Amino acid sequence: MEIRLRNLRRNYGELHAVDDVSLDIPSNTVYGIIGRSGAGKSTLVRLVSMLEKPDNGEVYYDDKRVDDLSRDELIQERRKIGMIFQNFNLFSSRNAAENIAYPMEICHMDKAYIRQRTEELLELVGLAGRGNAAISTLSGGQKQRVAIARALAVKPAILFCDEATSALDPQTTRSILALIKEIQKKMNLTVVMITHQMEVVRDACDRVAVLDSGHIVEEGAVSDIFSAPKSAVTKDFLSSLTTVQESVVRWSKEGGHYTLRFRGSKTDEPIISTVSRSTGAIFNIRAAGVQSVEDEELGVMITDIGPDPQTAAAAVAMLRENGVTVEEEA
Amino acid sequence: MNTMITLVLEATRQTIVMVFLSTIFSMILGFPIGVLLHVTGSEEHGGIIPHPVFCNIISRIVNILRSFPFLILMIVLMPLSRLIIGTSIGTMATVIPLSIAAAPFVARVIESALKEVDPGVVQAAKAMGSSNWQIIYKVLIPEALPSLVSGVTLTIINLIGYSAMAGAIGGGGLGDLAIRYGYQRFRPSYMVAAVVIIIVMVELIQFVGDRISSRLIAKR
Repeated sequence: MEIRLRNLRRNYGELHAVDDVSLDIPSNTVYGIIGRSGAGKSTLVRLVSMLEKPDNGEVYYDDKRVDDLSRDELIQERRKIGMIFQNFNLFSSRNAAENIAYPMEICHMDKAYIRQRTEELLELVGLAGRGNAAISTLSGGQKQRVAIARALAVKPAILFCDEATSALDPQTTRSILALIKEIQKKMNLTVVMITHQMEVVRDACDRVAVLDSGHIVEEGAVSDIFSAPKSAVTKDFLSSLTTVQESVVRWSKEGGHYTLRFRGSKTDEPIISTVSRSTGAIFNIRAAGVQSVEDEELGVMITDIGPDPQTAAAAVAMLRENGVTVEEEA
Repeated sequence: MNTMITLVLEATRQTIVMVFLSTIFSMILGFPIGVLLHVTGSEEHGGIIPHPVFCNIISRIVNILRSFPFLILMIVLMPLSRLIIGTSIGTMATVIPLSIAAAPFVARVIESALKEVDPGVVQAAKAMGSSNWQIIYKVLIPEALPSLVSGVTLTIINLIGYSAMAGAIGGGGLGDLAIRYGYQRFRPSYMVAAVVIIIVMVELIQFVGDRISSRLIAKR
């Protein structure tokens, strides 16, 4: 299902939590919405998932407007979407299977069907045979798997993930993201993933929107955003990623006035040597690495360029001509 | 000695009847009010149908009733007993004021038990398309069950205390026995017997309540 947002606005008193947001979330994709805490992403997901009504603007699922529904219509429409949360929000009074059965129970589905569907879902999320487990006996990753199964019980067309991996360790995060991607393909879901972790966007999303103080500052395919980030917020997210990312090696904490980003085929070419030879520039490489985004290789290099500003400028110009994104630190 | 045993047994029976019936009636009255207090409360605390004005009015009424000294409330409510069961004296007649007096307490106990339910869980239930009614009986009450059991235990123990006081104004039961025989006729053995039985009852209820509550928690 395609989701369209038109000029969404939501204020809390003086605070513009979501300020004039318009987005098209295409059908059958994993769509990331990234922002720092307080950027308005939680409010945005509450607006898009019909948990809250906007002060202004419209939300469409395909061609159906869903932000102005009556109470009963709202309940019916909510039964067609799935949602998972940072804290899992499972019912502690129910075991794993009963948690998964809940959304079907409230729609008054047939008991035998519920039982059969619950088994299927446990199998799908890799928890076959654990239906009787009490929630408190499950690990974080297993809890999120139960939550995913519960969200998918009514065969929704949209799955909202609100910081779904923020409470999990890196390894579990990867396995949950892999599961979400797998399910997305299998069920042709539209997945909307709210996060503050660039790793999540890199590992799971096809497209991404960057949110900052209630505005969308950047939007596009993940590989484009990673290779040529435009806004300061995006660059900031990417830099936090490169320092924590084990694939980037940093040799020196000093210097590094230029950040070069290479994409795709460019990572294979000896472009630095070519530029160095033809302009006479000297590269002092401080950190470098290659990341894999959506099966595309992206190179990142933090470097100083010398020996003098003119040569450096010439080198930067030549790099840009060759399709390398160059960011200069002030 | 034999008369004493007969009297004590009869008084114990009366107390049990009073406490049992008034527990049931005060629950019937107080439980819905407690649920209403919670669901109309603010959204941050897990209220699903926030309605500040309504919530405030109920809350005030509950507070006023709770701040009444119990004995006075009993006396005020006596005409009501006469209206409903024809008399204002005796065990059955005390059940009505006891139930009404305990109801606001029950409402607060239920409200605070429901407040312990994680608002995130309620939000998840809402996002899945639960109706308000489904949230109450399929999520809030089952999730709060261990606390609700503790609350009921507390209510019963409170009612044992209240019923002893009710005895003073003609309700019968162990409190009545202690005052009429123990105090007014200078028979300390009656006083001791009444007090010991009340202590045993309270201990027993507390023990059973704690057991059920911790069983429920252990299963999770």
